[in-house]
Amino acid sequence: MSGMDVADGLRAPAWGGFDRSRTTGGGARDLIRSFWVATRLGWQMEANWTDPVLFFIYSVAKPVSSALILVLMLEVIGAGGRPDYRAFVIVGSALWSFVISGIAGLAWSILDDRERYRMLRYVYVSPSDFLVVLLGRGVARTAVGAMGALITLAVGVVALGVPFDPGRIDWPLLVVVMALGLAAIVAIAIMLAAICLQTRQESWSYPEAVSGALFLVSGAVFPLAVLPTPLQAVGLLTPLSWWVEGVRHALFPGALTALGGPGSFFESVSGRAGPSGIEIVVALLATGTVATLASVAVFRVSDRRAKDRGLLDQTTGS
Amino acid sequence: MTSESAAFNFRPTATPQEAAAWSRRQVLATDIRAVRGRAYPRVTGMFREKSWVFFEILLPFLATSAFVFVYRAIQAPPEYIGFVVLGGAMTAFWLNVIWMMAQQLWWEKSQGNLELYFAAPMNIMSVLLGMAVGGFVMSSTRAAAVLVIATTLFGVTFEVEQWALLLVVFFLTLAALYGLGMVLASLFLMWGREAWHLTQLLMEPVYFVSGLNFPVGRLGIVGSLAISLLPLAVGLDAMRQLAFADAAYPLGTPSPDVEAVILLGMTVVFLLIARLTLRILERLARKEGRLSIRWQ
Repeated sequence: MSGMDVADGLRAPAWGGFDRSRTTGGGARDLIRSFWVATRLGWQMEANWTDPVLFFIYSVAKPVSSALILVLMLEVIGAGGRPDYRAFVIVGSALWSFVISGIAGLAWSILDDRERYRMLRYVYVSPSDFLVVLLGRGVARTAVGAMGALITLAVGVVALGVPFDPGRIDWPLLVVVMALGLAAIVAIAIMLAAICLQTRQESWSYPEAVSGALFLVSGAVFPLAVLPTPLQAVGLLTPLSWWVEGVRHALFPGALTALGGPGSFFESVSGRAGPSGIEIVVALLATGTVATLASVAVFRVSDRRAKDRGLLDQTTGS
Repeated sequence: MTSESAAFNFRPTATPQEAAAWSRRQVLATDIRAVRGRAYPRVTGMFREKSWVFFEILLPFLATSAFVFVYRAIQAPPEYIGFVVLGGAMTAFWLNVIWMMAQQLWWEKSQGNLELYFAAPMNIMSVLLGMAVGGFVMSSTRAAAVLVIATTLFGVTFEVEQWALLLVVFFLTLAALYGLGMVLASLFLMWGREAWHLTQLLMEPVYFVSGLNFPVGRLGIVGSLAISLLPLAVGLDAMRQLAFADAAYPLGTPSPDVEAVILLGMTVVFLLIARLTLRILERLARKEGRLSIRWQ
């Protein structure tokens, strides 16, 4: 390497031997640096393909259209005159765009790097922690989803007559459920990324499919009480149901409940019409913890299997 | 030996020019081979990667069910549940057109296959047709599954009086959809990396203006525009009118036979545009040497 300009950290020790301490890495500092670089890379890939106006349209068109589909469905049947139900579907739909983006971010990072750019093998063998890099790559898409959710809510309030009073927001509850909900979304995203590590190129639509299935049991756009009892029970075991319920509770105190209500499984079990704020937080914490532990376990198994079968550098196509 | 493979038999020729002068039969046989060859990995892939049954049939069915329950929650008339089921089934084709047709040439460029396609002695339309055929097999399976399971579970009753017209409309819708997919494939190839992101714009917004879960006539002028531009919108509207003949269908859209004519027009126009854009692209690509530039 003599004669070449080598960065300080990479230069051989002055005494010329092998410095073992370098293999242990820099601990938390390295993790933060990997995460930050991955986040920046993800944002560049997500946002630098066009001008800011088109990027903004692109970011909000999907969630706003999703909400409009539901609003039109209510209008067609004549239920659009109920502002409480309209608020119910708009909040659920807005939050769901956040879920879709959060879940897709990590899974698509795997597919992008393995199938399109064919860099996954190099990223994997780099000194950065693979999971930390993946999380960083997912941040940009999650941020885009969050922006879409906010705009959808704003459109709902300004243009679609959603009754909203900022003075009534339960901020502590909102902050807690958002933090726990984000952790739960990341956990599900890690699980799906682990699955995409095993599957082929066409897995691009899997995040959409998984979030679509969770959409059914999460009470995002209709009360769970209309579902058969076993599905209601599944819904109550899903952290996303509690997250959506918690956000509704915080933004619209006293609004329709998705988990409880007359004839619901929740009512038959608890004897009450709907969960309280504390119950929502406890249930979200419990279900979110289970989801997180499960996701880490699934990711580890998938990681080992991918290494064992050479899946990290395979490319597929059809 | 089949007659098709006989077209590829070695024939000694006096000059390279003579060897390059193919008969119509050879050209046709090569194009058919290309269609079959491009459809093959899609059909075979279905059997090799079993996870798609779960992720591309069962889970999308659950997503469709969610919209059924929205209508149930607001006590909608039963035909609206049928509208959602029909929309859910047709989504399979639209997703296939967007993800596996429109993006495919750009994807092939990134993979390094596109230059081989252009260099091969075949019409590039054959490759696109092969993708469409393979994709159709995959999507039909999903659409049929959604239709059968949802019809059984949710008790949807179809009331069809004109089966022949319904089938004609269905196949014309597919022809127009895949024609549009071919146009988008060439445009996306030109747009490069933007195309990947623009795909997102062709999902929910298109579902909305196509009236995926409600009669498109309720959208007024937007619905009329969609009917004149989007095969999914016009095809769905015609199929709903035909499959639920006894339902009180909202007025404001053309009758199914008029919509069949619109679909026919769309098919012809899209295929012509696709042919033209592909030729322009091929010329540009050869002239500017962009066939092998990846990831842009």
